Amino acid sequence: MKYDSIIIGGGISGLVCGIKLLKAGKKVAIVSSGQSALHFNSGAIALFGRKDGKDVLHPLDEIARVPEGHPYAKLGMDTIKRLLPEVKPLFAEAGITLVGSDNENHYRLTPTGMFKPAWLSMLDYASVSRPDSLPWGKVAIINITGFLDFYPDFIARGLNLAGLQCEARDFTVPELETLRKSSTEMRATNIARFITGDVIRRFAAEVNRIVAETHADTVLMPAIIGLFDEEPVRLLKEQVVCPLYYVSTMPMSLCGMRAQMRLRNHFQHLGGAYLIGDTVCSGNFDGGRLKEISTVNLGDMTLEADRFVLATGSFFSHGLEATPNKVFEPIFNLDVNVSGPRVEWCDVDLYKDQQYMKFGVVTDESFHVYKDGSRIDNMQAIGAVAGGHDALKEESGGGVAILTALKVASDIINELK
Amino acid sequence: MSQENNRHYDVIVIGGGATGAGTARDCAMRGLKTLLVERFDFTAGATGRNHGLLHSGARYAVTDQESATECIKENMILRRIARHCVDDTGGLFVTLPEDDLEYQHNFVECCHKAGINAEPIDPKDAIRLEPAVNHDIIGAVKVPDGAIDPFRLTVANVVSARKDGADVLTYHEVIGFEREQNRITGVKLRDSKNGEITSRYADLVINAGGIWGHHIAELAGVRVNMFPAKGALLIFGHRVNNVVINRCRKPADADILVPGDTISLIGTTSSRIPYDQIDNMDVTQEEVDVLMREGTKIAPSLAYTRILRAYAGVRPLVASDNDPSGRSISRGIVCLDHATRDGLEGFITITGGKLMTYRLMAEWATDLACKKLGRDVKCRTAEIPLPGSELEAHEGGTVMTRPKAHIIDLSTDQKAAEERHGSLSAEIKYNTLADEAVVCECEQVSVGELKYAIDRLHCENLINLRRRTRLGMGTCQGELCACRAAGILVKANKCAERTLRDLSSFINERWKGMYPVSWGESLVEGQFMSWLYEGVCGLDEIALPEDKIDAK
Amino acid sequence: MEYQENTVSKNNFEECIKCTICTVYCPVTAVNPDYPGPKQAGPDGERYRLKKPFFYDEALKYCLNCKRCEVACPSNVKIGDIIQSARIKYSKHSPTLRDRMLASTDFMGTMATPFAPIVNGILRLKPVKKIMDSVLKIDDGRTFPTYAHQTFTSWYKKHAASSQAAYPRQAVYFHGCYVQYNYPQLGKDLVTLMNAVGYGVQLLEKEKCCGVAKIANKLIDEAMRDANINLASIRKAVHDDKMQIIATSSTCTFTMRDEYLHILGIDNLDVRDDIMLATRFLYNLIDSGQVKLVFKDGFHKRVAYHTPCHMEKLGWSIYSTSLLKMIPGLDFVQLDSQCCGIAGTYGFKKENYEYSQGIGKALFDQILNSHVDLVATDCETCKWQIEMSTGMPVANPVSILAEAIDIEKTKAVNKVVV
Repeated sequence: MKYDSIIIGGGISGLVCGIKLLKAGKKVAIVSSGQSALHFNSGAIALFGRKDGKDVLHPLDEIARVPEGHPYAKLGMDTIKRLLPEVKPLFAEAGITLVGSDNENHYRLTPTGMFKPAWLSMLDYASVSRPDSLPWGKVAIINITGFLDFYPDFIARGLNLAGLQCEARDFTVPELETLRKSSTEMRATNIARFITGDVIRRFAAEVNRIVAETHADTVLMPAIIGLFDEEPVRLLKEQVVCPLYYVSTMPMSLCGMRAQMRLRNHFQHLGGAYLIGDTVCSGNFDGGRLKEISTVNLGDMTLEADRFVLATGSFFSHGLEATPNKVFEPIFNLDVNVSGPRVEWCDVDLYKDQQYMKFGVVTDESFHVYKDGSRIDNMQAIGAVAGGHDALKEESGGGVAILTALKVASDIINELK
Repeated sequence: MSQENNRHYDVIVIGGGATGAGTARDCAMRGLKTLLVERFDFTAGATGRNHGLLHSGARYAVTDQESATECIKENMILRRIARHCVDDTGGLFVTLPEDDLEYQHNFVECCHKAGINAEPIDPKDAIRLEPAVNHDIIGAVKVPDGAIDPFRLTVANVVSARKDGADVLTYHEVIGFEREQNRITGVKLRDSKNGEITSRYADLVINAGGIWGHHIAELAGVRVNMFPAKGALLIFGHRVNNVVINRCRKPADADILVPGDTISLIGTTSSRIPYDQIDNMDVTQEEVDVLMREGTKIAPSLAYTRILRAYAGVRPLVASDNDPSGRSISRGIVCLDHATRDGLEGFITITGGKLMTYRLMAEWATDLACKKLGRDVKCRTAEIPLPGSELEAHEGGTVMTRPKAHIIDLSTDQKAAEERHGSLSAEIKYNTLADEAVVCECEQVSVGELKYAIDRLHCENLINLRRRTRLGMGTCQGELCACRAAGILVKANKCAERTLRDLSSFINERWKGMYPVSWGESLVEGQFMSWLYEGVCGLDEIALPEDKIDAK
Repeated sequence: MEYQENTVSKNNFEECIKCTICTVYCPVTAVNPDYPGPKQAGPDGERYRLKKPFFYDEALKYCLNCKRCEVACPSNVKIGDIIQSARIKYSKHSPTLRDRMLASTDFMGTMATPFAPIVNGILRLKPVKKIMDSVLKIDDGRTFPTYAHQTFTSWYKKHAASSQAAYPRQAVYFHGCYVQYNYPQLGKDLVTLMNAVGYGVQLLEKEKCCGVAKIANKLIDEAMRDANINLASIRKAVHDDKMQIIATSSTCTFTMRDEYLHILGIDNLDVRDDIMLATRFLYNLIDSGQVKLVFKDGFHKRVAYHTPCHMEKLGWSIYSTSLLKMIPGLDFVQLDSQCCGIAGTYGFKKENYEYSQGIGKALFDQILNSHVDLVATDCETCKWQIEMSTGMPVANPVSILAEAIDIEKTKAVNKVVV
């Protein structure tokens, strides 16, 4: 089977790249070995949120100062500024509303009641421009009875520290009683399956009752609505008497799953082939180029393309793997950037810098990968697998994933013209 | 000072390990007014940091007949009184091609001398009995080894002591002694939660502090030299073996593989450490390498089995010579009456020994205490089952847990809770659907079980909950359940600030054990953990430094 | 030192990092609170079962074996295989008469086909359905597939067998029970299509049911026996006669390729790659330029493609959909890949009927809202379920292709002279 481009990895980076290529008229396939890390999204995407443990307000200022080798340095400020305006419209076309500014971070409220810098927040997720002045008045923190992945007490602590009054309540609706009988499956994404149609109306009535009882100005709820699209979110909002915002829950992340599904559907509706649950097992290299790849499911029928994109993520998604003695890229055994022996990969304190977070495949300035020291001319790496950045400490994972995807897609479009 | 603080005890027992808890039980059962104090949590020391092996004594038969005899006697007693803590797996001593088969003959002879039923079997039968064992073995001996859960055992002793009127204080550190001339009359305690210092008084203080007893004795002005020998172990993700596998040779590194609850453990290494390092239990890369190199010899599948974590403990042996390895030292029990030894009245030290002989140690210490206090009461701890073990062992039947209202069969978490708490599991309430919900999915811990542990088993923090229930001890090492459990805990302690810090520390403590084996799935799990707790939640904001949060 | 270079465990249960993604994609979890979900039933439960069989939970019977958990898993854990293997190893429930009847698709077919009109009539009678419902626990809401008057093989012997050898190349068709007893037309369509591109269609020397229903109903010995008979014939065809095996059922294909090895433990690796869906076989021929299809002018239909669960697991819907998209007059709609709820015999059982329909609801709604003329799918039980639940006609892509091609022109362009 022959495509213009084949993307290995179907998470946020691979899908964004694929969508942009499809819109330019390319024939694209994505091979995705299982579902992606997007399922654990925090409710927001970060561009550059932290530096040396301190919050960053103006992400572009810090991006201008990243060290050589950082994906943002490779992209360069001009490219980044050119690509940034593409982001929101691309997600909007897929049915994902993102709120935020490229020039100035806002803060999102975390499941444990902290405030962290964010670039783009999902529709109606709790966020503020500054954590020291919260515009919410009295807050009712409303949980669903029996839902264990949302923590009103921790959120209340965070709001109290910021000087807000709040009151925690919970409620349920009969439709959820069946689900509650399952001792393990009362999770955000399963709850969301039931909050559709008429249930939303009763949901709203319960919320409004609590608002009246608590004299709340604002409602915070766990993100448990709008699994497949944003419609239920809008419907509930219309029916609730005061502002209603969502706080991300512990996994699964509802908005993450929604984003994954919307992006994938959008990709498929644009004509992309999305091979889910299939794993690339080998590649046929010839003269510094990758000619074709084989997958577990397709067997002897190889996938050929002019251009390949590696978007396989970090360790979590098996873009990289580690044994006691080495870190490697498991599909093609591409060259990797790894510092030191095993004792240096990690720090015994979880919250300190973990070197492994920055590991990735070796790439040149335009993200081309290397194998056995030689550049592969038709293969580029995007997102987490490209390495060179600490997505966690910098809060830069989302921005790197999206911007490298858009950049590489542009390269391919220009080159294949 | 409140009235409670003025209460005068017959005995104060220092140390919340198996020995301390067992001594408190014995004292209370003999009618002594008893207070048990522990500076951190029960089982925080060597009790919670060993193999969890129900020794048959065979391991000591060749080098130490006395220990071997004690072991097999206590082994039989524990099978009766601590059924719910014991897993009767049986054990094998196998000879590898590189080992001397001659050793086996001597070994079997010594076992028989000690009263241990050691039965040489055909290696083929041994492989049938335990397919995980190296198929190249040239000799095998069957022994009555088993697994014992030290967490359950200790807590059952605490519950028993409490039933007989003992008081219990965890997170109270002994910082000094009250004394009148040459008599100890009480202890000075610091409450680690608020720093408050108080004193408690007793006719007799028993030092059961394990390796830390060295320091406690110093506070009392007497000298008991402990020999700190560090031993590291690895935990594998599931039961690799269902029968204990020992290597039939002179005790050396990584020669015992024990199935413990849902996992298997290989250990240990042995290295002498300075006394000031006994609280620093980091496992080094070298130790991991030794454990893997030797461990894969007795069970080759370990080479490709997922490792969950590494940990280390300190053997509380009493120093007697300058043996650099610590292995030839007698593991015999040392019970010191400091009145006769050092001229200090009102103070006893019980030390040496091992987990297997905790009950006997308690018996010796309590015998001495009774003698000193002029009480003539017989020890009954060998006859009366521990709380939770009153009923016959069963295969999913005799305990009176009721199935949750809407399903016919016991759910997996209920079955797991029965295994953990024995007949006490009947006290777990499933009053609402919320109580039935599972918090820790790997180890099947429900909200009801956590509430039971919080109400009844001295749980102040997540680590306490982990030790009482196995919360966060499974495959994901707390990554999914820690936050949920914190959400339950905060309802009980009403302090979000403390619970959040606790959560942040708990996650870091879990990582500390994953760190020495951070490759493969452990690294993936670690990355996932970081994403959730630092990335999504932002718990790094309130994190304490790692050295402040060691498993306490 | 070389250790821990790779960690492996049975069905990779230990490679699970507890991310919980599988439970989100489990169709049963969403509707049945008694089912513990794939993570609990699979890798989590496995650790406990290894400790003691006492921990086996009979609720594992609610698993559909759809394998969507496996498709979703980022860590390559064979969750579905773990669950099915555990059922076989630990479940104390023996199959009921009902289970045996439903599972013995070939035996039932052999008995019913000669009396097809009567059997079909009887199975539609309300009192019969009531009795089946109350006595056998086969839900009376369920419409039974009709039995054909003549089996596929007897048609083949009479009308096709003799002419096949004349084609320059040959393939062996595994027709399966559905084509044999219920819908021989699909087999006839396959013969038409293959003949048009120059392939003669042979049958296996001996064909038994693939065994999927027997595996699902824990009739393991029977499934093993059938599997071994099938594999013996398949080996003969592949090794001696140098022919590949093609099928029109995604489930039969999946079972013979993967379940034989993973669940029954029968080594099929020497022939596994030669067992495939007809659409993959055909697509490969077209993609490599060996054959061409020429389509009729008058074909105009809006067709929605439903990805059966086992097709999703095979990862092969790309072949069927690519072929459909080649038809000029076909307006293609890709339905979201989700389970229809039938899962073979699962949905026939009274205790599952409600869940079965609950699982399929989202798919049915999507089909009814997509304003198509026809639904295409590669699985026969999906076809029954969707036809019964939406009233929409459902066809195998092979039948649609057979209808859409211009047979003579296709033969001509492929230089087929018979």
